[in-house]
Order: sequence, then structure tokens, then C-alpha cells
Amino acid sequence: MSASASSLIPSFARTPSRVAIRRAASYQADLSALLFETMREFDLPVRGKTVLLKPNFVGLDPRGVMNTHPAVVGAARESFLRLGARSVIVADGPALERDTEAIVESMRLRDYIGSLPPTFIDLNVDDVHRVPLRTRASALKELYLPEAVLEADFVVSMPKLKTHHWAGVTLSLKNMFGIVPGSCYGWPKNILHWAGIPQALLDLNSTVRPDFAIVDGIVGMEGNGPIQGTPKSCGLLVVGDDPVAVDSTCARIMDLLPERIDYLARAAFLLGHLKEERIHQLGESIASVRTPFEILDSFRRLRSGGNGR
Amino acid sequence: MISGPQVATAHSESSCRTPFLQEVCLPFLLEAQNADGGLGHRAGLRSSVEPTCWALLALASLSNSGELSKSARSAGSWLLQVQLQDGSWPSSQGQQEGSWVTALACLALHTNGVGPQAVARGVAWLCHAWPGEGGLWWRFRHWFLRKSVAVTQNYSFRGWSWTPGTCSWVEPTSYALILLRNLPGELHPRRATLRQRLGEAMLYDRMCPTGGWNCGNPLVYGVAGEPQVGPTVWALLALQDYRDRLANQKSLEWLEQAYEGLQGPGSVTLAHLCLETYGRPTPPLEPALQRFYAANQFFHSVPVMAWAVAALSPTRQWLRPARQGAAE
Repeated sequence: MSASASSLIPSFARTPSRVAIRRAASYQADLSALLFETMREFDLPVRGKTVLLKPNFVGLDPRGVMNTHPAVVGAARESFLRLGARSVIVADGPALERDTEAIVESMRLRDYIGSLPPTFIDLNVDDVHRVPLRTRASALKELYLPEAVLEADFVVSMPKLKTHHWAGVTLSLKNMFGIVPGSCYGWPKNILHWAGIPQALLDLNSTVRPDFAIVDGIVGMEGNGPIQGTPKSCGLLVVGDDPVAVDSTCARIMDLLPERIDYLARAAFLLGHLKEERIHQLGESIASVRTPFEILDSFRRLRSGGNGR
Repeated sequence: MISGPQVATAHSESSCRTPFLQEVCLPFLLEAQNADGGLGHRAGLRSSVEPTCWALLALASLSNSGELSKSARSAGSWLLQVQLQDGSWPSSQGQQEGSWVTALACLALHTNGVGPQAVARGVAWLCHAWPGEGGLWWRFRHWFLRKSVAVTQNYSFRGWSWTPGTCSWVEPTSYALILLRNLPGELHPRRATLRQRLGEAMLYDRMCPTGGWNCGNPLVYGVAGEPQVGPTVWALLALQDYRDRLANQKSLEWLEQAYEGLQGPGSVTLAHLCLETYGRPTPPLEPALQRFYAANQFFHSVPVMAWAVAALSPTRQWLRPARQGAAE
């Protein structure tokens, strides 16, 4: 399993994290070269390993703004193979649509990763194993999780840069909800909402913490995300080996205060760095790429000057 | 055309089977069956309740003999073995808590005439399993926060949840209602009529403004959600006793319009099953299935293959048409 005992480390005992912000004008850009060069800087331990890319494939996406773009997924796959990974699989368990084949075919994923089975795995219907959760923020205690995730050596969360009408934002930590299998918990995976989204996110990510994150911020989504929002062009990829630091950086790019995002604030205790001074920024600076995202009124508190706690 | 075991049948029986059904679907299902009698979500995976139920329902759509009959018997036996003490079925092996698959297990067993006592215990469990939003505290909290809620729906209409104690959703509610409309009245527990009435009302309450259903909420922050094929099909099949209602007709129209653009074999097969059950014309299914199969082999999905068997079969007892006099 990817999550190692060392993943639960109090923030004060963690070394500073690194997050890279790269400009990518469009999905037609040479994303493979960009990602490969960026990932090389992180010296990732993937040689000879099985890498699992976990994009955010929510559902059918005729506007092309809801799901992680397949060009980014294909570029990441190619980059990990060039870095020496033994195999790179793409896997997700969409939360809102059972016909996963229809989702990946409608986005033409095969054009970017080749033939779908066996490279793509539907996590909603994989074999599962009972996994005790390593924290007790929610009342869940355990989850049945897919074998493909538990057997992967290196898990990469690949969300899209989006607002979220229940959680504020959905980034690399929230994206991990997609590993929870629908065949056990339904469509949507309501047990996670019922347990409390921030609490369930902490418990899940403490148990299967992504080893790396690549955020598709070339075109994101603002407003009433993660499905019904408005496309937002940012022309960015944000990557790093600390999912909390990556998500915090993304929040700052969206002009939101990460410490006011409930699940990020919780995750910062054990899973990574939230504070800007503990994140070493590579590539572009946050200030140079900041793009304020529209948010729902119920999340005004996430803005600087909003009604924060 | 394909590899795998050939399905031996009497001539009269196989003559009404299409080539795709006979040469692809049935060999696939037989090969996917595990030694314990159950089937996994994909061939080669451990046995699980949901795919075993779909396979059993698919086999019930055929006039069984020989190998198919043996396969159905062992799938039925496996289902009986994994029933939990309280009468429910778990969604995956090892789980000690019942779930949404209980309705499917009861339906599959009842349709195949297997384990009537197990079915009775399963139905009793279902009729006692209330969703989480039924609780007093939840209703009080919802009433208290009513001005800030993003989703407006009538929570007094309670259906069935995916997992115990969580909210009602369209699909598990539809499965339970399909089961109840298949069972003769004498097998209905005391609360069945109430649960049916509430479940049907819940489905109509959750319909999207454009017709059809999605797997989430029809309106979030006042914005209408898009319908989806799966939930629409199951809701329409659950509500087929009210086929003349405007809501049903509107949803069928949405499904008909969506049909041409469907991009997965699961969606196409389910839409076909539903439209045919409602007597609506549909394009021939087999050429579409052949195309999908050539592309991805249906992702080796047992449920999709089982739905294809049901859709290509002449009889589907469990999707029987409306009861006489039930339609409004």
C-alpha cells in the first residue's frame, strides 16, 4: 500500500514541502515535456514501481470542464514511464455516474493513454479489502478500498482546479473520495457526506495519502462547482509531493484562504504543510498567477476580508 | 467470433437467441462464474452479490436447460450462503452490514424460485431499513437550518439508502420498489404498502425538472441537474404501474432523446430495456452492442453483460409490464 507509516507526521516535525507552479497555455501545449521536466526536480522514487494515476472523472462532461483533462493524464502517464515506472495505470471511481466506460469514451481518454483496459481501471467495481482508518476524525473507523489502489506503490492524485458547493474547493485531497468504491457505498458515496466531508477526507487521506499531486488548472471551474460551475481559464499546472501544500497553494491561486477551508485546516496537522512559509515554491510565484475564483455566498468566509472564523 | 465455452442448448431454445447473445454474452457469463458459484464485477474478480444477482436475473430471462440451469443453481446457492444473519446481504464479501444489494438478491432469488424463506427475511429487513433522513434529530436539524439548505426536496418521502443510516437515493429506492412490485401481496410484510407509497412519492419528488432522474439531487442551489440514464431507467421501471402519468411520459421522452448519443454499453442496454418495457420503439440493439464490445469488451463487466442478456432475451419476468388497472 502506498500510504506509509511516515505519512502521519505532525507539521512541526515535517521538512518544508515543495510545490511547482507551471504555466501551460492550453491542452494542446507540450504537457509531457513540461511535466517530465518538472517531476524530475522532485527526484520521485518511482523506478521499477507501479504508479496509479487518480484523475477526477466525475461524470459525463460534454462541456469538457468538469473532469481532469485526458491530455494531462496522458502527459503524466508518459512522464512517469520516462522516469522509470514499471507500469502506470489510470484509475478512478466516478461518484455520480455508473457508466464509467461512457465517461472515458466520451472524453476520448484512449487517444491519450492507448487502449483502455487494462490501462484504465474502474475503481467502483474492483475487488476490495477492509482497511482500518488511521485517524478517527469521523465515525467511519474502516472502509473497503479497491485492490488496485492498495497494491499500487505510488499514488498520484490528479484533480481539476475547482470550487465545490459542499467543501469550498475540490483539489488533490478531495479527489481521493474517488477511490472509495461505489459498488460498496453507492453513487454518490453518501456515507462520506454523512460522516462529514472534512472528517472523512482526513480519515481517508491519512490512510491512503497521495504520494504526489498534479492539479489540472489549465481550465478550472468556479462558482457552483464541481459540476454546475463556470469554466475558468488559468493556464496552470500545480504539482508537488505534499498534497496539503499543493491544495493550499491552489487555494491561494484561487484567492482563497486555505486555513479557512475546513478539511485543509484539519489535514495540516498530520498530512502536510499549509503555511506559506513552510512551502518552497518552484516555477511561477503565486502572486504572478493569482486568479480570483467566484465562490458561492455560503463560502464568502474563505476570502480575505470575508466573514472568517 | 469469440473464444470461450460454447453454450449447448436444444435447437428450439437457441433458435430464438441472437448470435451476440449465444456466442458472446452467455459464454462470457459462464466463464466469469467462480468456483464458489458467484460472479465478480469483472471476470476473474472475487464473487460479489450485485453481479451475481444480475447474472441470475439474466439467466432467468432465458429458457434454461443444461449448463445454464446448473450455472443458475450454483449462483443461487452462493447467494443463499452469503446472506447475513439479519436477512440482509452485504455489498462485498467480508462486510457484516446489509446494504442496497439486498433488494437485488431478493429479486434474483424470487425470480428464480430459490430460497423463499431467505427472500422473506430479506424483504422484512428491507421494510425495516429506514434511511437516515427519517430520524427525528435529522428532521429537526433540517427544519432549523431550512433557510440555508442548498437542496430543496420533501424529506418526508423516504425511500431506501445505499448503506444503512444514510439518505434515500433514486437507485436503491427503485430496486426495492421493483422487488416489491414483483412479490405477490401475501409475501409483503406489514410495512410494505407504506414503504411503497413513500418510495414512489420520493421518486416523483426527486425527478429532474426536464424529466428523468439523476443519481444526486434534481436541484442544487436552484440549478437544475442533468438527468442520467441509469437512475432514469431504474426509476421508470419502478414506476411502470403509473406509465400514463405526465412525469413518466416526460422522462421517457428525455430517455428517447438521449438514446442516440449514448456512449457506453451499460447505458444503451439499460435504456433499451426500459423503452422496450414501456412499448416504445427502439433501434436494433445488437449492432450497437457489437460495436461497443469490439472497442472495450464492455470493460469485462459482468453486470453490463447480464443486462445485455436480459435486453436480448424474449422474456423478462422481473420486468413484467404494468399490473392491470394499476395505471392512472
